Amino acid sequence: MHNVKRNIQTPQALAEKKQREKSKIDEFLALTDDVLSRKKKQEWSDDAFELTQRLLQINPEFYTVWNYRRNILLSGIFPHSTPEQINNLLSDELSLTTTSLKANPKVYWIWNHRRWCLENVPDGPERNGLPSMEWRQANWDKELFVAERMLDADARNFHAWNYRRYVLANMPTRRPEASELAYTSRKIGANFSNFSAWHQRSKTLVGLWESGQLDPIQSRDDEFELVSNALYTDPDDQSAWIYHRWLIGSGEDKSRLEREIQLIFELLQEQPDRCMESLVHYKRLLLQNHSPDSQTLKQECVELLSQLMDLDPVRYFRYQDLKRDLDQ
Amino acid sequence: MSTSLLVPLHVAYIRALGDSKDDLSYHLSAHLRMNAVYWGLTALLVMGHGDALDRDEMIDFVMSCWNEEAGAFGAHPDHDAHLLSTLSAIQILLMQNAIDRVDVDRITKFILSLQQPSGVFAGDTFGEIDTRFSYCAINALSLLGKLDELDVEKTVAYFRRCRNFDGGFGAVAGAESHAAQVFVCVAALAILDKLDEVDQPTLCWWLSERQLPIGGFNGRPEKLEDVCYSFFVLSALSILGKITWIDSSKLEAFILSAQDTESGGIADRPGDMPDVFHTHFGLAGLSLLGYPALVDIDPVYCMPASIIEGLGLRKGWKALQRRTS
Repeated sequence: MHNVKRNIQTPQALAEKKQREKSKIDEFLALTDDVLSRKKKQEWSDDAFELTQRLLQINPEFYTVWNYRRNILLSGIFPHSTPEQINNLLSDELSLTTTSLKANPKVYWIWNHRRWCLENVPDGPERNGLPSMEWRQANWDKELFVAERMLDADARNFHAWNYRRYVLANMPTRRPEASELAYTSRKIGANFSNFSAWHQRSKTLVGLWESGQLDPIQSRDDEFELVSNALYTDPDDQSAWIYHRWLIGSGEDKSRLEREIQLIFELLQEQPDRCMESLVHYKRLLLQNHSPDSQTLKQECVELLSQLMDLDPVRYFRYQDLKRDLDQ
Repeated sequence: MSTSLLVPLHVAYIRALGDSKDDLSYHLSAHLRMNAVYWGLTALLVMGHGDALDRDEMIDFVMSCWNEEAGAFGAHPDHDAHLLSTLSAIQILLMQNAIDRVDVDRITKFILSLQQPSGVFAGDTFGEIDTRFSYCAINALSLLGKLDELDVEKTVAYFRRCRNFDGGFGAVAGAESHAAQVFVCVAALAILDKLDEVDQPTLCWWLSERQLPIGGFNGRPEKLEDVCYSFFVLSALSILGKITWIDSSKLEAFILSAQDTESGGIADRPGDMPDVFHTHFGLAGLSLLGYPALVDIDPVYCMPASIIEGLGLRKGWKALQRRTS
C-alpha cells in the first residue's frame, strides 16, 4: 500500500470499524464465492457477466475475475453476437471501465483489460462490401484520448505513458512520429520537470533520426537549445541534466563539448552540485576522447570531485572512486 | 521515531497478518496472498525467526493454490495461475525445504509457454507483458534447475530493447527507467551471466542519484522516497559492485524511521500505514546494509543467501559487511 497515512485509533473506534466492515466482508465473500463457483463450472451466462462487473467494481485488482469476464465474452457472448454487437460490447467495456481507471490509475489489470478490448474489436463496418477499419480506428482513437486525459491528471503515470506508446504503435492508421515530438514539446513546455516527457522525447527522436525523417545534426542543435533553456529556467531539476548528458553522448564532438562546458560553468553559482557533476563528466569525456595527456584537465576533474565530496556527501564514495580512476 | 530495529514487534506483526479476517483490506488483497506469504516468510527469515509461522500450514496453503489445469500456482485457492504467484510459491517451498512438492516439469512448461516472440514474458495466458515477468520466469527456472531450457539470446534481446538513455531499464521496450524495473532487469541479467548488457557507469550514476536528502530512495527522478526502493536500488548497486555509492547510514536511518513503533511493520515512509510488502523490502535493504543480527539476503533472488549458495546459484554481488553492533 502506498501513501496511506497511519491514524491511531482508539479500541472503541476500531471495534466500530470492524462492525461496519463485517457486512461488507460478508457481501464480498459471498459474491466472490458465487462468481468463482460459476467460473469453475465454466458458466458463461449474462448473469455471471453482470456479477463479475459488481465484483470488479468492489475490487478492480481481482485479476482472476477479469480473466473470467473476458472468457465469458469470448465463450458465452461473442459466439452469439454479430460483429457490430461485438464492437458495441467492447466499446461499452472500455467506457464502463474508464470510471474505475480514473479511480485506480495505477492498477495494471485495468490497463491490460483495455488492451485486450482494443485487440478484439472486429473489422467493420462493411463499406462497399468490404470490411473497413472504422470501428477499430474509432476505439483506438478514443483510447489515445483516454491516455492523454490520464496524463493530464498525472504527467508521470508510467502506465498511461506505456499505454500511449502501445496505442500509437498499434492503431490501424498510425499518427506521424513528428506529431509525437510536438506532444512531448507541449508536455515539457507545461512543466520542465516532466522526466517522462523528456524520456519520450528521447525515444521519438531516435526513431525520427533512424528513419531519416529528421537530420540528426540540426535536430541535436535544436535539442541543445531546448534543454539549455530548461537548465537556465530550473537548474534544480534533474530531468534536463540527464537529457543534456544523453545529447552529449560519448562526446566525440569536441567543439560542442567545450561549448556546453562553458554554458554549464556559467550556471555554477546557482546550482553547484548538479553543475559540477556534469562538468566532471564532460571534462572526463574531453580527456578520454580528445586530450588524453592533458594534466590541466585531469587536475580540474580531481578538484571538482574533491568539491563534490564536500557539497554532496551522500555520494562521497562515488566521487572518490572516480577520482581514483583518474589517478590511474 | 525509532533508531533501532524493533525485531520482536515486526515478528508479531507478521504473525498477526493471517488473523486479520475481520479486516476488509485482508480480503481485498486475496489476489496478492501468495506474494504476501513470500514477503512475510522472507522477512521472518531475515530476522532469524523463520519458524514464527507454522510450516505445515504454509505448505498446505501454497499447494492449495496449485492450478492443475495450468500446471502452475495462483495467488489464492481457485485464483488463476500466474507467473507472479508461481515464482512466490517456488520461493516459499524452497525456503520451507519442501520443493519436492512441486511438479517441476509442468511448471517449467507453463513458464516457457509464456515467452513471447519478442523474447519478453507474459504474466499469464492473457498476455500482459513486463520485464518483471521475464525476471519471474528466469528466477523460477533458475531455482528449479531448468535454466538450460531457456533461449537466452532471445530473452536478452528484449532486455536490450528496454535499456534507456539514462542507463536504466523500463517495464517494456520504450518505457521510462524505474528502479523496480532496473532491479528486475539487472537481477535477471545477473542470473543469465549477461551483466555486460548493462551500461554500468551510467546506470550506477542513475541509481546513486535516487538517494534524496532525507536519506531514502525514490524510484525515478523527481518522485517521492519510498522504503521499497531501499531494496530495489540497493540490490542493483550491490549486483553491479557499487553499493558504496550511496550513504548507507542515512538510508538505514530512513528505513528505521518508517517503522510502526506500536503495531510493528514498516511503511513506505514515516507516518504511513505499515504493510508486509514494505516490511519485507525494508528488512531486505537493512540486511544488505549490514545491519547487525540480520541474516544475509541474496540481492539477485531476494531470498536468504545460504539457500541460494546451497543451490550453487550465488553470483558476484557484494553487500556491506554485517556490523556486530
